[in-house]
Amino acid sequence: MKRLFATAALAAALALPAAAQDTIKIGVITDKTGTAKFYAEPVTDGTILAAKSINAAGGVLGKKIELLIEDDQNKPDVSATVARKLVDAGVVFILSNSSTTATQQQQTVSLETKTPQLTPTNSGETLTTQIENPYFFQTGPLFSYQIGTLLAYTKAKQYKRVALMTDNSELGQLVAKSFKAGLEKAGVQVIVEEVVQRGATSAVPQMQKVRAANPEAIFQAGVLGPEMVLFFRAYHQLGMKTPILGSYNLSIPLYLTMAKGLMDGIVIVDAYDRDKPEVKAFEAEFEKEYKRPAFNLNAYGYDGVRLVVDAIKRAGSTDKEKIRAAMQATKDFTAIIGAKGMKYTFPPGKRTGFDPNGVVVRLIENNTHGRVVHAGQQ
Amino acid sequence: MSDFLELFVSAASSGCIYSLVALSYLVMIRPTGIINFAVGEWSAVGLFAAFFLLSNPWLPLPYGVGIVLAVAFSALIGWGTQRIAVRPLVEKGAPILGPILALLGMLVVFRESISLIFGPDPHNVPAPFGMRQVAIGPFAGTPRDFFIIGCTAVVFAGVWLFFERTVWGKAFEAVALNRKAAALMGINLRRVTVAAFVGGAAIAGFAGVLYSLTAPRDFLLGLPLAIQGFSALVVGGVGRVEGAILGGMILALAEQFTARYADQVGIPSGLSLGVPFLLMIVFLLVRPTGLLKPKEARL
Repeated sequence: MKRLFATAALAAALALPAAAQDTIKIGVITDKTGTAKFYAEPVTDGTILAAKSINAAGGVLGKKIELLIEDDQNKPDVSATVARKLVDAGVVFILSNSSTTATQQQQTVSLETKTPQLTPTNSGETLTTQIENPYFFQTGPLFSYQIGTLLAYTKAKQYKRVALMTDNSELGQLVAKSFKAGLEKAGVQVIVEEVVQRGATSAVPQMQKVRAANPEAIFQAGVLGPEMVLFFRAYHQLGMKTPILGSYNLSIPLYLTMAKGLMDGIVIVDAYDRDKPEVKAFEAEFEKEYKRPAFNLNAYGYDGVRLVVDAIKRAGSTDKEKIRAAMQATKDFTAIIGAKGMKYTFPPGKRTGFDPNGVVVRLIENNTHGRVVHAGQQ
Repeated sequence: MSDFLELFVSAASSGCIYSLVALSYLVMIRPTGIINFAVGEWSAVGLFAAFFLLSNPWLPLPYGVGIVLAVAFSALIGWGTQRIAVRPLVEKGAPILGPILALLGMLVVFRESISLIFGPDPHNVPAPFGMRQVAIGPFAGTPRDFFIIGCTAVVFAGVWLFFERTVWGKAFEAVALNRKAAALMGINLRRVTVAAFVGGAAIAGFAGVLYSLTAPRDFLLGLPLAIQGFSALVVGGVGRVEGAILGGMILALAEQFTARYADQVGIPSGLSLGVPFLLMIVFLLVRPTGLLKPKEARL
């Protein structure tokens, strides 16, 4: 009897690592409790759905994929710590769904531990330029593509003098900087640049200045919800009619409830076209799983896992170095995100995989994110 | 000139919110000496209570009833806070720093509880006021601005009358002037402390309700508001009710007028973000009692 137990225990001990090896672990860093939660969590919902659907279809390399999800509270220091925790837990890849600043900090870990890492949403230009990290990849629509697309859309109007509106968050400042650089490169002068402070109670002083400067258009680059609502309210209060062109932050549906009725007629940057067949299929699958309609952020997370699994498949192995090389070799991978026909490709020597012509411009009509009115930077 | 008056209304309505937060501090500091930085979280309690009551589809309440109940709920929370974090410490003879630190701890408890219950998204408290500009005489602003200004005037008048014209108000003042003597004269210190915290929380909760008229807000709203209110208090002085309104107004006017006009005189408008701190530092250095000094004891 004793012997039987010993055998059973031995079998169990042997079986355990075997069972653990049956899955391929992918780490996910998201923000469940901090300031980035409202855009990180929808991305993670898409991530979970994609993993589930890939597993239902048999997984990859004959194994199921297992997501290890960690909360970083959108705090860069916590973010790096949980990245290390994931590496220690044996993940072969890290998906970064939190904010740009958190992702930046995680790179210290991916570089040191040689773990491939991808952010499917982050748009900060500096993520791939600040440190030379061959393990890091980015497929979010870069800010420079966003402003380039807005400028292409307004080409016929030939704006010469415009206003730039943002908030004092780190990300808001980053978007504004990229937008300003893009505008100036195109020969458009930013005649007034205004900042709404976090926690402000009014944007009337800023909008009075914009009104007094009389620009041809207002480019919006802020990311803080309440502060941007102050901007829209002051715009309406002061009876302004200047066209507003918004960053992709405004494509988050929450704005439609926060600034209800205040955004009609505004055009915004997005990377989502509901008329695409891929999007239609994705939306049907998402709604079936979560019993609520899908939106753009869910699709970013969905694409992220598909890209990683595709790289693992082409690598034919769970060796991190081989997966990294396969990810770098990603070419013409059909995206759910982006304009019609958009594909992800990492050009040689580049680790940004979003198609420069994949950004679209959408019009807000009847308090909904309406039709695509323009695509690409030409 | 019309720009100037328009901005004046906007700044005055912001100033009213800061003033109410400053008043909440003041009502508690006068009799107890306790600086309660959790006032911002009490404003959050008021705002989220109003959100819960007014956006609940099963229980549609008129706006007035909803906000009165939200303020009452804040007052209740103020009583509870006092019972848990202040009274036990005071009765055990802890130094004044004890309850101040305990209240800082409560601040985190409130903030995280709100985040757990309502999630991290900003919430819009429904209100029956439009945002289109209207003019009252030469002053142009939104109906929301005028509502905030009117309500604040009523609250300040009420609190001023309480301190100046009622026996209870005199008791508060007596405790502020000399705790021991007041107790010997038969004033119940415990009751005064309870009244101060309940009143302070009600005022802070109401400030939160008014703050909700400016924009949708999330659970992180407390601390910035607490800092603005504290700066207003430092500028105006803790001695008198009028100090709170004066401080709030000066702060908001300075903030918004620098945002609007500073770069016309060569100062980058980005510096307007630092104006509240600059004012606070200047006042702490030059006039630590604030603009209005407390009245001398009338013998």
